[in-house]
Amino acid sequence: MLGSYFKNIGAPGVYFPSLILLAFLAVAALVPNEFYLNLFFMIFMFAGMSGAWNIIGGYAGQISLGHAAFYGVGAYTSAVLFAKLGLPPVIGIFASMGGAVILAFIIGYPCLRLKGPFFTLATLAVAEVLQLLAVYFRGLTEGSEGLSIPYEPAWYNLIFESKNSYAVLAFGYMVLVLVITLVLERSKLGYQLTALRDEDQAAESLGVNTSRAKIAAFVLSGVLTALGAVIVSQYVLFLEPHSDFSVNVSVELALMSMVGGLGTAVGPLIGAAILIPLGEFLRAWVGGGIQGLHYVIYGCILILVVMFMPHGIKALVENKYQALIGLLPRFGAAARPQPEEEVHLHFESRETQAAKDGHPLIAAHEISKDFGGLRVLSGISFAVRPGEILGIIGPNGAGKTTLFNVLSGVYRPSSGRVEFDGQDITQIRRIHQVCHLGMGRTYQIVKPFGNMTVLDNVMVGAFCNQAGSATAREIALEVLALVGLLDKRSHEAKSLTLANMKRLEMARALATKPKLLLLDEVMAGLNPNEIDEAIKLIRDIRDYGSTVIVVEHVMRAIMSLSERIMVIAQGEKVTEGLPREVIADQRVIKAYLGDGFELA
Amino acid sequence: MSLLEINNVSVKYGDLVALRDVSLSIKQGGIVSLVGSNGSGKTTLINTLSGLMECSAGSIVFNGRPIQDMPAHKRVDLGLVQIPENRRLFPYMTVLENLEMGSMTHRSRDKRQDNIKKVMHLFPILSKRSKQIANTLSGGEQRMLAIGRGLMSDPELLMLDEPSIGLAPIVVQEIFKAIALINELGTTVLLVEQDVNASLKISSHGYVLENGEITLSGPAHELLGSEKVREAYMGL
Amino acid sequence: MVLLQVLINGLFLGGVYALISLGLTLIFGVIRVINFAHGEILMISMYASFFCFSVLGLNPYLSLIIVIPGMFLVGVLVDQVIIRPIRNAPSYMQIFATVGLSVVLINLALVFFSGDYRSINLAFAKQVVHMGDIGISLSRLIVFISAIAVAWLVWLFLDRTDMGKQIRAIAQDRDAARLMGINPNKIYMITFGIGSAMVGLAGGLIMPLYYVFPSVGAYFVLTAFVVVVLGGLGNMVGALLGGLIIGVIDSLSGYYLDPALKEMVYFLVFLGVLLFKPSGLMGMIGAEEMGLK
Repeated sequence: MLGSYFKNIGAPGVYFPSLILLAFLAVAALVPNEFYLNLFFMIFMFAGMSGAWNIIGGYAGQISLGHAAFYGVGAYTSAVLFAKLGLPPVIGIFASMGGAVILAFIIGYPCLRLKGPFFTLATLAVAEVLQLLAVYFRGLTEGSEGLSIPYEPAWYNLIFESKNSYAVLAFGYMVLVLVITLVLERSKLGYQLTALRDEDQAAESLGVNTSRAKIAAFVLSGVLTALGAVIVSQYVLFLEPHSDFSVNVSVELALMSMVGGLGTAVGPLIGAAILIPLGEFLRAWVGGGIQGLHYVIYGCILILVVMFMPHGIKALVENKYQALIGLLPRFGAAARPQPEEEVHLHFESRETQAAKDGHPLIAAHEISKDFGGLRVLSGISFAVRPGEILGIIGPNGAGKTTLFNVLSGVYRPSSGRVEFDGQDITQIRRIHQVCHLGMGRTYQIVKPFGNMTVLDNVMVGAFCNQAGSATAREIALEVLALVGLLDKRSHEAKSLTLANMKRLEMARALATKPKLLLLDEVMAGLNPNEIDEAIKLIRDIRDYGSTVIVVEHVMRAIMSLSERIMVIAQGEKVTEGLPREVIADQRVIKAYLGDGFELA
Repeated sequence: MSLLEINNVSVKYGDLVALRDVSLSIKQGGIVSLVGSNGSGKTTLINTLSGLMECSAGSIVFNGRPIQDMPAHKRVDLGLVQIPENRRLFPYMTVLENLEMGSMTHRSRDKRQDNIKKVMHLFPILSKRSKQIANTLSGGEQRMLAIGRGLMSDPELLMLDEPSIGLAPIVVQEIFKAIALINELGTTVLLVEQDVNASLKISSHGYVLENGEITLSGPAHELLGSEKVREAYMGL
Repeated sequence: MVLLQVLINGLFLGGVYALISLGLTLIFGVIRVINFAHGEILMISMYASFFCFSVLGLNPYLSLIIVIPGMFLVGVLVDQVIIRPIRNAPSYMQIFATVGLSVVLINLALVFFSGDYRSINLAFAKQVVHMGDIGISLSRLIVFISAIAVAWLVWLFLDRTDMGKQIRAIAQDRDAARLMGINPNKIYMITFGIGSAMVGLAGGLIMPLYYVFPSVGAYFVLTAFVVVVLGGLGNMVGALLGGLIIGVIDSLSGYYLDPALKEMVYFLVFLGVLLFKPSGLMGMIGAEEMGLK
């Protein structure tokens, strides 16, 4: 990280924001005016703490309105240790962070299973409970009267005589959160979070343990919030449950990120830099006479941002900023032209236990699946050899997609079992485990991670077996070259054409290096040329080392691709065999065209 | 004059063209079948006619009125009624309430009691189940209820999307008999079916949809057994 | 005897909670939006009732004639101006928009009415009828009866009338309802109006009993969230039942534990329900869709 930072320091995209930050630091260190120092302290702190909120709220998309819990626990833990036991906050800060970790696990483990507004409600309630506890345990917290922190200036107390020191400390905190966020963005966890925010089921299918990723984000977010809370409370020197555990704290942290740009590293900074001065100046100019006015403005801004620019102010100024960066000169190594990345295809056959033993790679035994009273699959058995391409066809509503969902562990069958490379898939609890076993799949209705680039989409898949970003990137590029999306790698996934989205689905699944790939109608909606390309691609995929099962309606494709075809209708297996045998089978024609359709 | 006139309708999902320049006309009184393989655009066409989806080009004229820009709920009031695929009943309502939901328009509200009697006559099983919650019915009963609910809207043109899908053959026969009867009683029917044979047999006219385009049309008895229909369906 | 008194107090308090929760649960059940500004609609209706009393001299029970339709209109306005443009947007946007609205309304009240606690001094509100050792507050009894009556009336309305059936139909399958000739936007608007009118009734009825101040809604709405989740979001009977249960828990834990801890007890109940049975006591409409089953 640090190495690549200095390597690229000559690039305007790196040195320009660095200079801005340095300017901030200079202001924090040198400005004598108390009002402005206070303002900068607040901007830095809120930018940092909102940045911490943004990790779970923005990147992972789990809107917490209970971050006051982390804030309050962080602030009170170190303050109580300091005020009651004399433990310096420099040490107490670790107790605060530890408290936040414990809290994050206690809240996160159960609550992160909840979706959307339910998670929000749960976090809201947790903060309320903690507020009540803080009021109740007067002996520790002094209850509603509030806890005064003794004014003993010393660096290890994080209390300073000069406000400049506070501002510099706050600046440091903000930069810390910013750097952590930037590192996160480029890490496996960061990719996984963004992916699960956009499409959690697809993320699971690519091997993302979504619950673990969310908890990790929640812990990180909580710890950083608690850290910030200690700094703020050593500045304010007074704690009170009704303000420190207040829902207003949670709302403000969320607000800054939302206004600046959810799920972006710089968003919270922009939000804080706009909203904090706005609030402070309103308070200063209108005076204390009109209480609450700045919150009215905050609320209006929030509503307007949600309705008219849901991607925040960052998205609004992004283009202008990039244009500005483009005008700036490049220095040093960054000025030299970058060598083209070379991508090599590595065709290899995957080692499978099945191949060694001469067993089928996947075998379904008497699978049935009921939904309510409706039997969707009944007694389906089949097997696929390693290296084979099996086609599954059948009329609409035959149960093909349900079969796929059973094979890939999304549904548990009502009876029967699926053996995949020696493992019983139906015993598997979580979808991501299926991916780690070596099975990849695509969805009939494409589920791209719309807000990520094509390359990043594929990297999510590559991270299934790779922890390192560099290797994951290599794999992703290789797969993109294979499917022919290399030139689109930096496009946003949601901007792709349907044909390319289908390719992207395949590429993502391929990046997990699957032994078996399940393709669910990857040709639906494609034109004849695109279908020809897709046929060739699937053959390449097989040669690349995967066994493939294809569900498809485009008969021409399935006939030329499949080595064997299985036909299902009304949840039952009609027949299986060589393509030309199957297509001439009267039972198949009947399944498709209805009883008594006779060729004239 | 035709009851329904579709002129050069195109529908897009994002950049994917689901229907391209589809023209089709339905005369008062008959049963028209729309057949084609999966993904050929049949459901898209029906959803476009009922207003659940918007067309990007072309015009739809129903009873002399252009309706392509009219919201779905207003089209029902004109007598253009869709019975959606997969039944789409109101799962927690009783059979009777589901039927009543079909008659919430001005057009049909006053005829509610009469129409309930007609539906119960057509599907006697529904009168036995009238107090039962819809999602506890069997698949066939649910399909009948869905058709009955459509009839409650007093349709001039009834559009059925895959009414036989997933049903046992004996129930399918019953459904097709009911459709033929509904037609005899004066309702024009547009039938989208995967059971090509059964649907063409009761139809007067048929259209074949392939890849979002009409590739073949003609009197139903000519399409029945045609090699081209088989090609369109099985893509070979 | 004390236990009986505590239980009656709890039930009556539960009536208040139920009345506030009924509107919230109706709106969620149909529109699938949790209105984080629901408490502020309560706050507005309390201020409306307060000013009807202090400025116009209207008895709070009489001023309901103004407050209820007024809140209906407020609901319609909120729905059409704020919810409608983001109806199909991801849920976080609806959370942010209604939280934003809540912040605006609380602080507008602070700007206009200051943070003072205001109350109506009504002799009737203090009347307690004694039956043996048991005291029954008449005004609380009215709230209790109203809660049950409103739940029953709304249930009748949803069960029997065409409009009610249309509301249920939209809640169960929006596209199918459109194919029945139902205009979803109109139904959403009316539902939001009715839900808000219900909380308007609550505000008017509790004005003689409670102080009104800008953040009074936040206090009640948190309880209402507990109630509706406990009862099963979207479920009217559940909201009534949940309200009464929370009222009793509130009263019991206030008496036997510590008044400072009573809210904690039911927040813990809340978390328990969210974690172990998120579809609530009575089951939630569309629980699968929310990923709760």
